[in-house]
Amino acid sequence: MNLRHTGILLRKEFFQGPKNFFFVFVFVVPIVISLVVTLVFGTLFADQATLGIVDEGDSQLVPMIEAHTSVASKEYGTASELKEAVAEGAVDAGLILPDDFDSSILQGDKVELPIYVWGQSLAKDRTILVVTVTNLVRELSGQEAPVKIKTVPLGDRESIPWEDRLLPFIVLMTVTVAGVALPGTSLLHEKEKKTVDALVVTPATIGEVFLAKGLLGVIIGVLMGVVILALNQAFGSQPGLLVLLLFLGSIMAAGIGLLVGSIAKDLTSFFATMKILGILLYAPVVIYMFPELPQWIGKVFPTYYIVEPIVEVSQRGGAWPEIAINVFVLIGLNIILIALVAFTITRKRQYAV
Amino acid sequence: MNWRSIGAIISKDFTLFFRNRFFVVITVLALVMFAVIYFVMPSSVDETLEIGLYAPVVPPAMELIQGAEEGLEIVEVESEEALKKGVTEGAYVAGMVFPPDIMEKLALNQPPEITVYFASDMPDEIREVVSAIIAEMAYLETGQTLNIALHPKLLGRDMAGSQIPQRDRVRSLFAVFVLMTETFGLAGLISEEVERRTAWALLVTPMTVKDLFTAKAVLGTILAFSQALLLLVVVGGMNAQPLIIAIALLLGAVLVTGVAFLMASLGKDFLSVTAWGVPALVVLSIPAVAIMIPGPVSDWIKAIPSYYLTDTIYQVSNFGAGWSDVWRNLLILAGFNAVIISAGIAVLRRKFQ
Repeated sequence: MNLRHTGILLRKEFFQGPKNFFFVFVFVVPIVISLVVTLVFGTLFADQATLGIVDEGDSQLVPMIEAHTSVASKEYGTASELKEAVAEGAVDAGLILPDDFDSSILQGDKVELPIYVWGQSLAKDRTILVVTVTNLVRELSGQEAPVKIKTVPLGDRESIPWEDRLLPFIVLMTVTVAGVALPGTSLLHEKEKKTVDALVVTPATIGEVFLAKGLLGVIIGVLMGVVILALNQAFGSQPGLLVLLLFLGSIMAAGIGLLVGSIAKDLTSFFATMKILGILLYAPVVIYMFPELPQWIGKVFPTYYIVEPIVEVSQRGGAWPEIAINVFVLIGLNIILIALVAFTITRKRQYAV
Repeated sequence: MNWRSIGAIISKDFTLFFRNRFFVVITVLALVMFAVIYFVMPSSVDETLEIGLYAPVVPPAMELIQGAEEGLEIVEVESEEALKKGVTEGAYVAGMVFPPDIMEKLALNQPPEITVYFASDMPDEIREVVSAIIAEMAYLETGQTLNIALHPKLLGRDMAGSQIPQRDRVRSLFAVFVLMTETFGLAGLISEEVERRTAWALLVTPMTVKDLFTAKAVLGTILAFSQALLLLVVVGGMNAQPLIIAIALLLGAVLVTGVAFLMASLGKDFLSVTAWGVPALVVLSIPAVAIMIPGPVSDWIKAIPSYYLTDTIYQVSNFGAGWSDVWRNLLILAGFNAVIISAGIAVLRRKFQ
């Protein structure tokens, strides 16, 4: 293995890459999807009941509702805007607070308040909204609850918000899109254009060609992984460990890309394979998204050993002792994958001979 | 129009498609995976907040609250241990323990202490709601009235008690995915004809450009339509108004064929066709995702042609909508098809010329 040859080939990959639309795609898509998922899906999948409010005066109830975690609130300018939002399901229910609402409540006057309810809102969300609003109005009127409540948590599981559940998906997608697609498609492109045959008659070996393409996937995979973690402010207290995990994850992705790229006969077969392989690659993140599923199932899939340590470090504040076993499994899987790629290279060399 | 030539091309492309056994197996597997995902997803929606209660004496106000709120279910248990077990196993979102002297203390205006057990992963909003329910019970029990009357006014169809399970919401999303995935196949076939220059070879036969496009359009439509139809039959999407759904799918298949023409005209090889195809897939999937999670659907989504396909499937299969409800959608979709197919043929014709 000649490192100079590999370096020259890698430089060629970086120089030629940006001319390929797919190369640009690898940079743009994860960032776009990260922003979309974080901004849109993080809100859409939220389990909270949502209340729309039109405040015709300056009611103190509005900041009280905003401060309450049991409901998410949104203010609207007019009654018609509020009704439209409720009818479309943008909020579960809507309240219009008249300008004398607070004074009426404080004076003990009877207040008739319509609450507009979206037909498709869940019954439990309706209950949550009505109970919360009633309770806060009682607080506003100065009443004190004649009861002491002591809460006792049971178990040691954590509540995981949707934004956090989706992070492993975004990170894994970033690493795999770059790691799998770049080396795989680059290899197939060379195979289709027959340039790989031209390369191996130069002093460069087929192993060096594979290594250069693999390194391309690893470097871009790590780079994009770092960008995505930075965008999601998920570096935690162990950025070095996370970079190591991205590096090991990218090696696995690049190994898969090279393996599929070397077996597939053309790009159609490559993408057809990735269509089904993608389900296996992303299975651990889907299982992670739904804590009610038995989490041990995830361990069956190799990418679990990328996702789990990343989640442990970035979301649970874990350090090396907590992730060591999974990292060693990941290293072991990478060694097997590299051996498989090496075996494929040997066979290709035999065919070439 | 030479129908014999068109038939020959369709037959040739079908043979090419099915000769690639690997591609066929992958296509079938992808359909199976969608069906499996559908059947694995919950078939019902849990609409109630189930709260466990261990109380030697149950205050009448508690029953009053439960009777008034359809989204609340208080389940009495025989012991505190059973309550803790139920909370830990997720049978109840929380467990309340009322002291035996609760009524006496409330009558004497001495706040009783109520213990509430939560699973540690229960979100804060649920904790606040349960506390609010207990507080409301205590207010009512001590005769502290509130001069506010909330009058619910439903906007839209009341779905309480008959909510649509998530798996039925995603049916239209699956259909769009299956349809869109087929664009890659058709665009790939066209780009292959361009890359290998077989398209020009065909055009020196008695076949015209018009015949070639017709053949590709028919092939793409049949491939996309048959797969989406099969999937919807399996997942029960054809149970209501099968004719309307079939027509919607057919129009959807024509739409994706037009998109495939555009993709094939933009890309110079299969790789770039795929690269252009992913943004198209993302854009066309937006309405299906928005419908799946209702709420922030803005009017701009209606500018995306697939909105009219997904909305039709969603309305018909989930709400029993009929011709009078969806004819506008079908008409608009047909209009979009005419524009997109014409544009696709025009740009592709320029490429061939």
